[in-house]
Parts: sequence; structure tokens; C-alpha cells
Amino acid sequence: MNFGRSLRQIAIVIRKEIKDSLRDRRALWSIVFSVSIGPIIIGFMMNRVADRQREAEQVRVPVVGMQYAPALVDWLRQQSGVQIVEGPQNPEEAVRNQDEELTLIIPKDFAHTFNQSKPAVLQIVADSSRNDARPTVERVRRLLQQYGAEIGSLRLIARGVSPAASQPIVLEDIEVSTAQQRAAQILTFIPMFIIMAGFVGGMQIATDSTAGERERGSLEPLLVNPAPRLVFVGGKWLAAALAAMASTALTTVLCAYLPRFLPLEEMGIRFRIGPEHITGIIGAALPMCLFSSALQSAVATLARSFKEAQSYMGVLVLLPMIPGVLGALYPLGNAPWMYAMPMLGPYVLLTNVLGGQPPAINAFLISAGISIVAAAILVRITATLFESERIIFGR
Amino acid sequence: MIRVEQLRKNFGTVTAVSGVSFTAENGAITGLLGPNGAGKTTTLRMLYAVMRPDSGNIRVDDVDAIADPHSAQGRLGVLPDGFGLYPRLTAREHIEYFGELHGITGASLRQRTQELLDLLDMNAIADRRTSGFSHGERTKVGLARALVHSPQNVLLDEPTNGLDVMSTRAVRTIVRRLKEEGRCVLFSSHVMQEVSALCDSIVVIAQGQVVARGTPDDLRRHTGQENLEDAFVALASGERRA
Repeated sequence: MNFGRSLRQIAIVIRKEIKDSLRDRRALWSIVFSVSIGPIIIGFMMNRVADRQREAEQVRVPVVGMQYAPALVDWLRQQSGVQIVEGPQNPEEAVRNQDEELTLIIPKDFAHTFNQSKPAVLQIVADSSRNDARPTVERVRRLLQQYGAEIGSLRLIARGVSPAASQPIVLEDIEVSTAQQRAAQILTFIPMFIIMAGFVGGMQIATDSTAGERERGSLEPLLVNPAPRLVFVGGKWLAAALAAMASTALTTVLCAYLPRFLPLEEMGIRFRIGPEHITGIIGAALPMCLFSSALQSAVATLARSFKEAQSYMGVLVLLPMIPGVLGALYPLGNAPWMYAMPMLGPYVLLTNVLGGQPPAINAFLISAGISIVAAAILVRITATLFESERIIFGR
Repeated sequence: MIRVEQLRKNFGTVTAVSGVSFTAENGAITGLLGPNGAGKTTTLRMLYAVMRPDSGNIRVDDVDAIADPHSAQGRLGVLPDGFGLYPRLTAREHIEYFGELHGITGASLRQRTQELLDLLDMNAIADRRTSGFSHGERTKVGLARALVHSPQNVLLDEPTNGLDVMSTRAVRTIVRRLKEEGRCVLFSSHVMQEVSALCDSIVVIAQGQVVARGTPDDLRRHTGQENLEDAFVALASGERRA
């Protein structure tokens, strides 16, 4: 076997497969759509969350029975972002009909009970099934508790007791994660999107050039050309991998531009994908593209028909979602064995890179090495399948 | 020249080809004639090295096609049975793709492609994608890409199957031209008239075995049938009774 000639033939196959797939407009747009829809939806969702948080800071509190607790109402008015309005006639109905997010009711005997230093009742009418009202209700509840605590302290001082006596314990939160890490936790879906993009991007070529090629009957004439099967399989695999890399790049760029349109700063999240992350993303994602395309080519070659290959792809695409979903449920951490797992390794690497804590070069090397070795084995298997008459001529 | 000796191929318990031997000479058209399922396609597939025979020898020119399939493939131009095209590539791109895989590049590839487009009268469809092509147009594309590397030996598996009269004539013209150029043409068909009109030598295959070989006249003499079609039926069914 002439090595230089084989390399040239591989390049010819790659060029043909890429050209062919670029002309498949429908498949091309479905790839672009499916890799960009995730980041865009997340963008919308984050915007909604931010809007709601902003709304919670600017609360409008309808109060029924203002005249029974003028001091409380005055105190509330002095808090920033609080607007006090006259409450509706029928508070429960107004909240149920979603005319109001909540209503604060001050009962008639509030002043009486309050002045006797007994617990005075305040009522908050709210609908706990309404997620969008929850931040507002929480804010009002916290304000009222704060008011109650202030009054309580004053009463203790008036009786010569230190307010500290009524506070046997104080909880203090010590946050150890950096802002970037917290951002990465919230934005765990971005590594998942990048990995998904690599998976989705190569799928069309991986199926069309193997199962599709056989179904069209163009595989047999192709194999009459004087080249080892590894040349054809290698070319098809690398073409799929290049497409996967291109779609990874597309998603990365989308995710990099996304934060510019999101009020992340307002939400206390610092997140950006900048030039300093590019090397890490390439190091984590590109070897993964080689692996996923090799896996897809092998599976599609085994399928009996193009349709069957496509349905297998639908199952395979769940693979890269597993670490993403697990990572969203509970932090995966980064144990060294994780880098040695084909899909998980790149995911953990990406999470750490985007979280502002790029792992050591060894982690990249292990992950890339595993991906490349696994890819090589799969390509070798596919080439063996291409030698099989049962595979070439269908079953 | 193609020389086949004692070729055998089983699929599981089914014997597809059972001891086929023949020689296809240069400068001649050899017809591989037989009913459907006789083993023609399997024999040809072993010749162009997408199937491995269970036993037997194949020589393409002076190359052992079993030991060195890629060298043999380099000397073969093949139009497989029921071949497919890439619907999103143009006719010209099909020819160029195979040309490149054979190591032809640059100006000589462009020139050779144009030669074939002229030869097969394909200039009107050269830069159209093949998705809407008629059967005749598709066959021309298949032929052109099979011939792009000017192979000494040409294998055509039922090339005129389902073609209209005009396209059939075009294929025959090409086949005769290849013969005049001194090439070895091996042509399979299940249509008697086709083979008798075109071939210098006929190999009749039935049930995976060569039941007769020779010129069309030889076959008539051999079976005692005046009509070649009757001769073919006698040969094919005679074997079946045995």
C-alpha cells in the first residue's frame, strides 16, 4: 500500500463528502437549527429570570386596612423599591384572578394586639402555584419579618434585655465558589450544548456516507476504485468529524455572544467566553468530535437501512446529554477517572474551562488520547465491516 | 485480458458460483449470458474485487486479482448492476471524483472528463445534478466514470437493462469502440439478441456453472438449434434437469 497515495485519496473522499453534504440544504439547515436552538432558548429563559428578579426588587404591595397600622405602612414605604397602593375590595378573588400578585391584609385589631405586645396577625394573600409571583411574595415576606425583628429588638431593649439573648444561634453562609464557578454551575448547559453540537454536526455525513451510500447503490461502484477500505472509511469519518467540529465552533460562537445580550451582571453572574477559553474549548471538544463521528459511522454502517441508521442516531444523541443532565442535577466534581471517559471527559473539561479553572494539561491529554484511541478502534472496526460482503450488499 | 479459473462462491449453504472458468481476450467483446440468478453478477463482483471467491484464480492482465485486488481494480473499468449515483453531484463531478481516486489530476483530468462527455454526448447534462436524470442519462454517467482512467479491461453488468432503444445503441457504440481500441470487454446480459449482436465470444452460465462457450455459431452447432434463443433455453434448462 502506497501511503502517500492513500492520504491523497482520503483527502479526495473528504472533499467529496463535504461538498455533497453542503448541497443537502435541508439537512444543513436542520443542523444549524438544532445546534443554535439550545443557546437561544436558554438566552430567552435567562432573560425572563432576570426580568422577574428585577420585578421582585420593584414590588408593588396592595394593602387592605392601611389605617390600622400607619407605622408599618410608613416603614414599608421607606424601603427601597416598595410601592404601597390601596388594596382591592376582594383580595382573595383579585389574587386568584391574577389581578394582583399578592395582597397584604392588616386586620382591624392589629393596633390593639400590637400595643399589648402580643403577636399581631398580618395576612398575605398569595397563590403559591404561581411561579412568577413567588419572588415578589418572598420579598414582601422578608420585609415584614425584618420589620417584626426590628420591633422585637426595640421591645427587648425597652425591657432592659439584650436583643442578642433572643438569638441563640446565627447562621452564616460562607460561599467558597468564585463567581465564575457559580456561573458555570448555572450555565452547565453550555458545555452540554457544545458537546451536543459536535454530536449532531457529524451525524448527517456519518449516516449519508455509509448507510445512505449503500442504499443509493453508490457504494459498490465506489469500492471498485483501487484503494483500501480504510481509505474510504477514513475519508468519510474525517468528513463527518470536520462537520462536527464546524458545528461545535458555531455553537461556541453563539454561546460566546449570548452573554452580551443577557443581564448576567444584574443576576450576580460573571460569565464570558473569551479568547482565553478558546484553546481549552478546542482541546476538550475537538478530540470528542473525532470520537463521536467514528461512533456514528460505525453504528450507521451496521444499520440495515438509512432509516434504521437515522433512528439509531436519535438514540445516540442521548449519550452526550447524560453527563449534562447529571451535571445539572448534582455537581460532578472532577475526579481523575472522569477524564478517561469518552463523553464525560470532554464535558468535565469544558465545565472547568468555562468555570475559569482550566484543568492541568494532563487532563486534556488523557481525555484527547482516550477519544482518539477509541475513534481509531471504531474506524478500524468500520473498515472491517466495509470488507464484509454482508455489509456492502445489505442483508 | 481476463482469465478466470475454477471460481467458486457460496453464500451460506447456497452455491452461487460453482467452478466457473473462461477467458476474455483483448480486442474482443465477451458476453456472459445466463438467466437471472445464474451467478453472472457474483462472478463479476469477484472479478472486480468487491467479493472474495472461496476458491479459484482470477488474472487481470498479468495481475493476480485475489492477491493484489487494488492493482487489478486499477486495470478495470466497472459498471455494476443496479449502480447508484450521488443525487447532489453533477455528471462532471461524478467523473472527476472517480478520476481523482484513480490518481488523475489537474489538466489531464479535465481533458479526459471532457473527452468522455463528448464521447457519450453528455455535454447538455454535464453540469446538472444527477437527481433528475433519466435511466439512460444515469447509465451514461456510470459508464463515463467507469472509463475515466482508460482501463484496459471493461466489465459491464447488464448495462442495457431497462434502457430505451437510443440509449442501448449509445452503449453498444461505446462497447464496439472499446473493442476497436484493443480493450477487453466483458459484458453480462440475460438478453440473447443483445449478446449475439455484440459479442465475439459467449460464455453461457446457468446455476453457477459454465454450460457452454464459443462464438454464436458454435453455440448453435453445439445445441443443434438454428435459433440462438432456442439454443440458450436448451442450454439453461438442460443444465437444470441434470
